[in-house]
Amino acid sequence: MELGTLTIVIIAIIALAAIVAVLVVVSAKNGRFKVDIGGQTPRAAGGNDTSSETGFKGRIAGLGLAAGGVLAVLAGRIWAMQLMSGDEYVKQAENNRTRTVTTAAPRGRILDRNGNELVTNRPSLTVVAQADVADEEREIVLLGDLLGMPAMAVKRKIQDTTEGAQSARTVAVDVPRRVVAYLEAHPDLFPGVTVQQRTQRYYPYGTVAAHVLGYTGTVSPDQLKAPDDDEGAIQYESGDITGQAGVEYQYESVLQGIRGEQQVFVDANGDVTGYATSVPATAGSDVELTIDINIQKAAEEGLLHAIDKAHALNNKATAGSVVVLDATNGDVLAMASYPEFDPSIFVGGISNDDWQALSDEASGYPLMDRAVTGTYASASTIKPLSALAALNAGVASEGSTYDCTGFWTGFGEAYGQYCWDHNGHGIMDVRNGIVFSCDTVFYEIGKAFFESDDKEGLQKTYSRWGLGEGTGIDLPGEAVGRVPTAQWKQDYFKDYSAEDRAWRGGDTTNLAIGQGDILVTPLQMACVYMGIANGGTMWTPHVLKAVGSKEGNGTLVDYQPSKLREVEEDAEYLAYVQSALEGVIYEEDPAVTAHFSNLPVRVAGKTGTGEKAGKDPTAWFCAYAPADDPKYVICAVIEEGGFGSTSAMYAVRDTLGAIYNSPDDATVTSSASVR
Amino acid sequence: MASVRQKKTPRHGTGVQDPGFSEMVSSLFGGEAGKRPGGAKARMPRAKGVLSEIYRPALFSSLALVAYGLLVVWSASLTIAEASLPRQLVGVALGLVAAVVIWHYDYRNLANYTTALLIADVILFILPMVPGLSYSAKGMAGWIQIPGIGLRFQPSELMKLITIFLIASVAAQYNGKIKAFSDYCKLCGTLLIPFLLLLTQDLGTSLIVLVAGASIIICAGAKKEWVIPTIILIVAVAALVIFCSLTPGLPNILKEYQLKRLIVFVDPSVDPSGDGYNLQQAKIAVGSGGFLGKGIGHASQAGQGFLPEAHTDFVFALLAEEFGFVGAMVLLGLFGWLMFSVVRLAQTIELPFGKLVLVGVVAMWAFQLLENVGMCLGIMPITGIPLPFISYGASSMVVQLSAVGMVQSVYRHRTKAA
Repeated sequence: MELGTLTIVIIAIIALAAIVAVLVVVSAKNGRFKVDIGGQTPRAAGGNDTSSETGFKGRIAGLGLAAGGVLAVLAGRIWAMQLMSGDEYVKQAENNRTRTVTTAAPRGRILDRNGNELVTNRPSLTVVAQADVADEEREIVLLGDLLGMPAMAVKRKIQDTTEGAQSARTVAVDVPRRVVAYLEAHPDLFPGVTVQQRTQRYYPYGTVAAHVLGYTGTVSPDQLKAPDDDEGAIQYESGDITGQAGVEYQYESVLQGIRGEQQVFVDANGDVTGYATSVPATAGSDVELTIDINIQKAAEEGLLHAIDKAHALNNKATAGSVVVLDATNGDVLAMASYPEFDPSIFVGGISNDDWQALSDEASGYPLMDRAVTGTYASASTIKPLSALAALNAGVASEGSTYDCTGFWTGFGEAYGQYCWDHNGHGIMDVRNGIVFSCDTVFYEIGKAFFESDDKEGLQKTYSRWGLGEGTGIDLPGEAVGRVPTAQWKQDYFKDYSAEDRAWRGGDTTNLAIGQGDILVTPLQMACVYMGIANGGTMWTPHVLKAVGSKEGNGTLVDYQPSKLREVEEDAEYLAYVQSALEGVIYEEDPAVTAHFSNLPVRVAGKTGTGEKAGKDPTAWFCAYAPADDPKYVICAVIEEGGFGSTSAMYAVRDTLGAIYNSPDDATVTSSASVR
Repeated sequence: MASVRQKKTPRHGTGVQDPGFSEMVSSLFGGEAGKRPGGAKARMPRAKGVLSEIYRPALFSSLALVAYGLLVVWSASLTIAEASLPRQLVGVALGLVAAVVIWHYDYRNLANYTTALLIADVILFILPMVPGLSYSAKGMAGWIQIPGIGLRFQPSELMKLITIFLIASVAAQYNGKIKAFSDYCKLCGTLLIPFLLLLTQDLGTSLIVLVAGASIIICAGAKKEWVIPTIILIVAVAALVIFCSLTPGLPNILKEYQLKRLIVFVDPSVDPSGDGYNLQQAKIAVGSGGFLGKGIGHASQAGQGFLPEAHTDFVFALLAEEFGFVGAMVLLGLFGWLMFSVVRLAQTIELPFGKLVLVGVVAMWAFQLLENVGMCLGIMPITGIPLPFISYGASSMVVQLSAVGMVQSVYRHRTKAA
């Protein structure tokens, strides 16, 4: 017991004693006083002892005084409580009997560009339990039997605090009506257990576009406390469902509805006895995406096809992604990433096991949207930019020729570098350097830059085309990649010797063919090819098409395309590179050409094969179509997929097949293994 | 002018002066009723005579209180299942019968039965421990159930009245002046017996007995040189008991719930779900009543179960919530009327025994009122003392109406000759 309380108790007792003592003294004094008076009064004839009579009188008067004091004290206190501070008590009484019950607002739907529902809501009967039910062994066993779950699992669910320590714990979602009926018929068996009608996220297309859509989960502590400074921001409650990734996260403020509030009257047990004012919940706004479900599906299937093809050639092909952009406005028509995940496992709270599985390295990080957050060496897909850089800087011209012997020794025998074709391409100009992806041509270009006054001319060109910089897509977690420079090398390898940190000629030649330290995202490369296709115009890639208005079918916000950048390039050089990219498809390898020959449009593109020590190469394929009036830009990457032309190409081709309704009918596989 | 005559005046049209306002007020509290025995006539077997043998201020005020109590119990019964108006009416009926019996009985006989009264106290104390009779309700010991008829009764309630007679009979012997310290000690010792017995059972009732007994002793002429040290001694012992109970290692004399109630009284936030909660809810009920109250059946605190024991121990909170400040003042006014009229009677009664019985009764009411209402207001610690005439419960009702019967018996037998 605290000493403070003790002291207060003792002081209170002493104070009480003092009051009693004063009362006694007063009454005793009265008695004495009356006794004296009584003594002077003539005695009555009856022989009464008036002295004692008046003594009684004074003392009894004292009793009356005490009784009056009691009444006065009580009356005073009642006055103070009922009339002076009555308002405060009225408020407390109101607080006692009213509770605010909030009703969750349905999240907005997520639609594709044609109005197909990608994410919607479905009603779900959810069994929730108060935290203290965890101690009721018998009840847990009963509940487990009823729900068809092991008692331990029920207990673990109830002990789980991820929905907030105060909130009820979700035991089971999507409970059958039969179970609900039983629970409602036997409330005495299941104290603290209630059934709530909730809405759950529903994914009509399953895993399709999961990475773009993202997933929802219980509001994080950061989200809970964050929005205080912002007036219009959503005030979250513990246990709220919020977007955790992808569009669900990006457009959380739009998708999230406003909770309804209902004032209810309750009795002392918390049972509702009546209803007062209510504010209905406002559903979140629908979000319409630029995604086209058909192209999206084709891209995902194409990605799997490409991976299969890579596996067939004994490549590990662990992961990959495909991005499809509309070259005319930056719309993301499809964005696929592999491995995929099922967003519905997050509904109603993801289990620890599932979460572990999704975060495990062995599973290949399926939650990662590789199109936006994956970074890879660009490999040969960067060669068009290297060519443009060379032509612009004058280190090469359309007439320049190079002799490829398969082994390039421009920096001396000791620093020799192989062309991917060890047999050599023979005499090559810059265009053929792109078409046949001849490394020697670009080694020469790199060497020329390295030896020129503008040592980092390549990097400057890459940067002008937006590499090493985010595209500004409206998806969370975009990686920026890296364009290595001498300064970067100095800083990055701090712990190495000055000699090792110095930029070498070999660094530049490597860079020219997209190997070494350069890192790009598939989305960045898609933007680069959009720029090439458009003659320099790059639109900001985006997934938002419109935000639906809350009433009616109109839209609240329509996305207006915004120009990401206008790359200044000589039109002649651009045309030269564009023609080279067409050559990649139609001139380099008949096996590749065969795959594209039945399309109604001509395609331009570039393969890439990124070397990675100790791993199978990263396969790239970037393309746009129609070549003469570009509309679609497609970029595919297969991690450890082998050669671009034997794996990533299939993803691009299948997607184009879906767009132009002309499936790939070629069965031939490229044997030349063009990189 | 006595009230008895005053009402006759207009009817007979005699030359008696109209009573002034002050006299009218005075008559409300008994006036000189005890002094002027219209009693000589009253003993006559006439209808009017029966009325004149009744001390009307005490009768009217107590009956008004009973009626008020029935109203409150009825309103409580609307929402509280345990509160039953018929049962309460049975209690009232039994109480009225007891009161009439006691009124008829010449209380003065009891002055000679000191030893018998003491033995009665002890028997009443033992009764709840007799197998077959004992009955425990809500964890509270001290109840008996009379076999056969199933009537439950709390003997300690009756002990209050017996003890008042006991102390008054001993103290009356000194005729208003206790001269010897040994006599004072004898009185205190006599009081100590029922007090200590009750203390083992029910702190609240034992405190009522202590206060009523002490009031009798003080009014019987105890010297203040003795009384003040006695009070200081009591306070010191109480402080010591609390200190022991609060300090780990020393014996816990107080029961745990008693200690808790004391702590809660000092700091209600200590125990917001138990006694502290009760106190808090009672205060909210009283405070939210406002000037006119929420009306019968509209008490959200008492009606929705927030206020525990709203029909018994915390009945005042219910009353104050439903009837507001006005209702609370009516209650205090009725009690004031009752207590002051009995004080007035005690002033005028000549027989010291009668005076002291009345003193004990008034002290009992005053203390129970203070404790019960004060508890609801947070100015007294929580105890299980019922509010006389109002709280639900037959034992209390019977005993309180018996106390009114005692007052009437004193009035009826007010002449010196026995």
